[in-house]
Formats: sequence, structure tokens, C-alpha cells
Amino acid sequence: MADAMNVGVNLEAFSQAINAIQALRSSVTRVFDSLKDGMKNKETLEGREKVFITEFQDNLQSVNRDLNELERLSTLVGRPSESHPLHNSGLLSLDPVQDKTPLYSQLLQAYKWSNKLQYHAGLASSLLNQQSLKRSANQMGASAKRRPKVQPSTLVLPPQYVDDVISRIGRMFPDMSIELFRPNGTSAVLLVTLGKVLKAIVVMRSLFIDRTIVRGFSENVYSEDGKLDIWSKSNYQVFQKVTDHATTALLHYQLPQMPDVVVRSFMTWLRSYIKLFQTPCQRCGKFLQEGLPPTWRDFRTLEAFHDTCRQ
Amino acid sequence: MGVTCVCQVPLAEGKSVQQTIDILHKKLEQLSAVKQGNFTVDCETYHATGNASGQPTKLLYVMHNSETPLSCLALFEGGPCLTADGNFDVLMIKLKSHFQNAKGHKVESRGSRYRYCDFLIKVGAVTMSSSARGISVEVEYCPCVVPGDCWNLMKEFMQSFLGPSIPELPSVFATKPEGLYVPADCVDTMTQYLELFSKVRKQQVLPGTTR
Repeated sequence: MADAMNVGVNLEAFSQAINAIQALRSSVTRVFDSLKDGMKNKETLEGREKVFITEFQDNLQSVNRDLNELERLSTLVGRPSESHPLHNSGLLSLDPVQDKTPLYSQLLQAYKWSNKLQYHAGLASSLLNQQSLKRSANQMGASAKRRPKVQPSTLVLPPQYVDDVISRIGRMFPDMSIELFRPNGTSAVLLVTLGKVLKAIVVMRSLFIDRTIVRGFSENVYSEDGKLDIWSKSNYQVFQKVTDHATTALLHYQLPQMPDVVVRSFMTWLRSYIKLFQTPCQRCGKFLQEGLPPTWRDFRTLEAFHDTCRQ
Repeated sequence: MGVTCVCQVPLAEGKSVQQTIDILHKKLEQLSAVKQGNFTVDCETYHATGNASGQPTKLLYVMHNSETPLSCLALFEGGPCLTADGNFDVLMIKLKSHFQNAKGHKVESRGSRYRYCDFLIKVGAVTMSSSARGISVEVEYCPCVVPGDCWNLMKEFMQSFLGPSIPELPSVFATKPEGLYVPADCVDTMTQYLELFSKVRKQQVLPGTTR
């Protein structure tokens, strides 16, 4: 069966040994049969005894012969090779019912898959490390052992400072109102209401924008227990699209040393959505493309494009 | 609750009400709109009795919309309106002495409801005492609440399936005190339906369309 296992096994001797076992079993059965049958009917008692004893002796000798043969063959069969030790998982393959419990084959597949995954993950990490993806400023990230607990300076900002920056930005734009909440610890959650068009929830981590979700003006921003609902998507496709674009924007505006400039740029970009339903696309000139208005705002010029029309 | 525009669509040349409705359905399905059930909007008329002689009888309209099945709207034309729950009909029966039901004047619009991206489109046949009088089309753009913002967008959409017969800005939006930049609500929709039904009542019965 398994090629790896039979390097030391003599298949010929193996089949002969199996035959020898069968012969031994049948000769032992004959012994007990003759004992069970007892003496055969002959003229004299001596004759019967003699025939019985002869038969009994013949049977025992054939048993002896078969046993010797089996012992001889067993020395020839050899041992399964130890050079490919499968240990416990190899034992799974020995006597399975392949249809109902294909354990060994599934196990092999699982191992192959996980090895491939590890390989691909290694490739991906080497590619991703080529470009720094950290949005926060890091001091000397080279030797992690020497400074294990130093957090980047811009990630640890006093909440009062964050409040001040946000309120200053809120005053910059008259048609945009920003409310600050701190429902979970020190991370600020902003509720930005843009005119009568949309409401955006911006989750911050000190002064860095972590996540944003955009919903319509008429949609409910609070969940059932009165807290801000920062997880459910909007019911409308247009605002789901705007949420995706806003996530792209928060990843685009990056300046590790000056996070307040980043927040200001993001808010300026978001403010361009005040005319979400009024502006036609700059490229095709129409209002609707597949039922959606121009949802993309260029990061530099703030011009409106359909998602499919942008360069 | 988004910005809604209700308009009446003229019959296609040489076709009946049902055939024109089928044409509209086909155009919507070509746009890959998805049918999402049916809708009904109806309107009953009540005469206010006990007025001083010489004054014209005031008409009270009680309207129902399948979008808000548990409420009904009572309004005077151009006057105040009231949103009440379904039991208001029973109350009107109790007020028989003050308001008499004009039974032959009940108008209703029934048809299918389609959804396309963020738009809700309802195409219905307007019937009065079981004779088809016309076709009503209601287009709602759900994400926007301010009519002034999305009117051009809605016009472009309506053009894509109604062709040249797109309506003008509904008067209910133009006559608001702050103009177009106030949130729309369901009273605006029902007011538009009321205008449409009044127009239909005044029309003659369409030739060859009794059902």
C-alpha cells in the first residue's frame, strides 16, 4: 500500500506468511475436530484406539510443521522502515473506512493548505514592509528591545488638546456641526452633521482618524440603548458608497507629525459633500450613473465625479 | 422618507390604461429595477354639513397610503391637515351628522412598487367607482430630504423611463414658506396625490376605458 512504509517489507514473504497462518488455523481446527469426533467404528477396541492416536499424532505434527513454517516466514517479512516516521498521524491511515471517515486525506490537505498559507503570508509581509504604513510618528522603531514601551508622541495626546482642535475645526465651517463624544474611554467619537445632507460618525484614536461611517440625514444615528451606533451601515446605497470613499480619504490624508492638519484636510474634503445631490459629474455631465449621483470627490480639487468616471 | 414627486402620465397613443402601465413596467425592468410588491393610495371625500347657508361646502378628504398602513391623513384642500391612526375611519362614521361620506367620489390608485438603487417608483392605475381614469406615477428619492437639492437629479431619472412627459416642479414644494430648502414629509406626498385625484375627478371618463 504505502510506498514509503514498505522499503523493508518483503511483500512475497508477507503473502506467504498469511497463507501459512491460514494453513495453521485449518490444521488446529482439524485437531479439535478429530478430538470432537472421537474414535471411529472399528472391529476391536485396540484398532479404534490405534487409529485415533495415529490420526491425532498426524494432526499435531501438521500443526507443528505449519507453526515452524510461519516462524520461518515471519523472520523474512521484515519491519516497516523507520526512515519516514509519521508517528500518530500515520496510524490514522492504517485502517480507515475511507468513505465515511476520510480523516487521513483531509489531514494531508489541511497541512498542505497551511504550508501554502504560511508561504504566501511570508511573501506578502515582505512586500508590505517595503512601504511604511504607519500613520503615526514613531521614534526610532529600529531596536524594539531597547525601547519596548515608548509610544509615539502623537498617539498620546491629552484629551483637552483633542477637544480644542476639534472645536476649532468645527468653527471653521458654518454649515458643518461637529459634536464630540467619548463613549468608550479616551477615544473621541465625532458626530459630524453636514447641512441637511448627511451625518458622519468619525471614530478617532487621539488625533488620528480611525474609522468613519456615513449615513443619511434622516437616518437614526443612535442605537436602541441610546448610544451612538458606530457599526450599522446606511440603508442607502449612495451613503454606503460615500462611506467607502471617506475611508479612502482618511487613509489618503497622512502626515504623521501634524495630525491636526490631517483632520482639517479631511473635514474640508467631507464638506464638499454639501452639494452631493446638486452637482453633476465633471466628466460625463450627468447626475446619475447606475442610480447613483457623483459620490467621488477628488482629493486635491474637490471636484465631483461618479465612481466609474474618476480617473 | 425622501423627496417624492407624484405625476400623471398621459396614455400612450392608441393604448389603454393597462397597456400603458405594462409599457412603463417594461421600461423599468429594462433599467433593472426590482418589483417589490404592490401599493394602494386612496382618498374618500366627506361633505361638512351644518354650514351657514351661502358658504361653499367644505370638503374633507381622508386618505390612506399603503406605505404607512397604520395611519391615515385627513385634510381640507389648501387648509390644515391631520395625521391620525387607522381608527380615524371609525371616528368619521361616528361623526355622520357632521360629515357625510360622498360614496361615489372615492378615488384610488393601485399598482406595483419598484425599487431601483435608492429610488422607489410606484406606477398605479387611478380608478373612480371602478372605472379607470388615468395613470399615476410616484417617484421617491429616499436618501435626500430637501427637494431643492435633488430636483434635477429626479428629473433626469424620470426622463430615463417616462421619456418626454416629465412633470414640472410640484407646486407643493414651490409654495412652502422657506422655498425648496425645507425637509419634505409625507404630507407633501399626500397633497400631491390629492391634487392629482382632484384633476382626475374633474376629467371626463376616458373614451373606451371602462373596466
